Amino acid sequence: MTNNDDILTVAGLNVAYGESKALFDVSMSVRASQVVACVGRNGAGKSTLLKSITGFLKPTSGSIVSNGTSLVGLAAFVIAGKGIKYIPQDKKVFSDLTVRENLELGSYASQDYDWAPVFDYFPKLKVLMDRKAGYLSGGERQMLMVGRAILGQPKLLLVDEPTEGLAPSIVMHLRDVFKELAKKTALVIVEQNLPLVCAIADKVYALKEGRIMAELTDRASIKPEACEKYL
Amino acid sequence: MIDMQLLISGIIFGLSLGGIFFLMTIGLSLCFGLMRIISLDQLLYYSIGGYITYSVSLAVGNIWLGVLGGVIVGGLAALAVERIVFRRIYDRDLPFTMITSFGVLIGGVGVIKYFWGLVPRPVPVPIDAQVFIIGTEIPVYRLVIIGIAGLVYVGIWLFLNRTIIGKAIRAGTEDVEHVEGLGINVYRLFTITFVIAGGLSGLAGGLHAPLIMVDPNMGLEVLAFVFMVVIIGGLGSIKGTLVSSFLVGQVVSIGSLIYAPLAQMAPFAIMLLILLIRPTGLFGSQMLKR
Repeated sequence: MTNNDDILTVAGLNVAYGESKALFDVSMSVRASQVVACVGRNGAGKSTLLKSITGFLKPTSGSIVSNGTSLVGLAAFVIAGKGIKYIPQDKKVFSDLTVRENLELGSYASQDYDWAPVFDYFPKLKVLMDRKAGYLSGGERQMLMVGRAILGQPKLLLVDEPTEGLAPSIVMHLRDVFKELAKKTALVIVEQNLPLVCAIADKVYALKEGRIMAELTDRASIKPEACEKYL
Repeated sequence: MIDMQLLISGIIFGLSLGGIFFLMTIGLSLCFGLMRIISLDQLLYYSIGGYITYSVSLAVGNIWLGVLGGVIVGGLAALAVERIVFRRIYDRDLPFTMITSFGVLIGGVGVIKYFWGLVPRPVPVPIDAQVFIIGTEIPVYRLVIIGIAGLVYVGIWLFLNRTIIGKAIRAGTEDVEHVEGLGINVYRLFTITFVIAGGLSGLAGGLHAPLIMVDPNMGLEVLAFVFMVVIIGGLGSIKGTLVSSFLVGQVVSIGSLIYAPLAQMAPFAIMLLILLIRPTGLFGSQMLKR
């Protein structure tokens, strides 16, 4: 069922890698300025879900609708052009390009060359502009990936394991950034860091073996121990 | 002991041959870097460049116009092949696309035979003048080829480093999915890369035509050298392609002065040696995954 307030509605989504099925009848919805978290163990299908929404994987059945437009079958660059941006887990920046060039590519499709919001969130990037991205630390890479993705003012950001392997201070910084971002942009965050999830999420989907096991919609019920039950 | 004049002449000949190899293989290297396909059909655009140079120069009497025509028709042929064939198979694995590109090459050679026949055709050298370099007479046309190859390298470098499309192509050689995720139409990048590659292969054929007779199999005849250049330099590396082209050009040229069969054998020996020491080539990426 599509709600008029939803900027993303996924219904009955099935995805397979060849013969191996990865998602089973997954349904979810995201409203504007909502932070939705997907939790689950490795292999639960969280990244597959994000890749399917952003056009990198083709579902075998089901629907993905954003503002009345079906996203199924659209190329990934078209979906990104509709303001649905994906930040993958791998923290892969374009290492041979400078930070400036990475941001230029983030601006290119949307023609949004106003980098001030990026520097507001991540002032450190300003002093690293001429450094090759390959020489950045893990935290700096994540800053660059988030900064690159928010250019063009996306309506939905899908972020895959943003804090994995990062120092606690960077994790705190990212938490604050995501909270701030959520005032303008809806977020879907795949994350295993449950305290972080509980600090920022308005809704949590718990996935296990490709199925949604629980949907926590009450802000008060989103607690680490409640999420852990489904992991 | 090689005579000094012969050596200088050999070096210049090697540099011009290297320049031709560079123009011939840079397209292949760009296509592999971005699309992860081994585009053997580039050798078809090389042949087309040679034949268009022959036909246009015969019709209008200006070889440079013929070379320009070769660049344009080579680029257009590449555009057609990309749109009709490769766009449908980018998702397929490397051997599949390589065999397909070889099929395009063989099919294209058949088309060339249909239009121009089997008989090799001569193309006159556009510049007859000679200059003396340290007492050695050198054909100016050879120096022009070296200069054009140098200019193309600079042009490609500027394109890749100073334009947003070029930067997107460089980014795509690292991870094309991430580029697409930023909302950039990667298929447009593929087309642009393919057309540039085809045009440069056409340029190689047009410039090489006056030094050889154009014949339908001219693309197939250089196939072994093309493989050697890209393997030694490292697939996907522009710098590697440049260095390797001139290395192979010198080995062929100087090798033939020392002992004629060396011209054919020595590049293979160098390729094997480099494969043993550095399997990805001199400047090749360690990340040969899509």
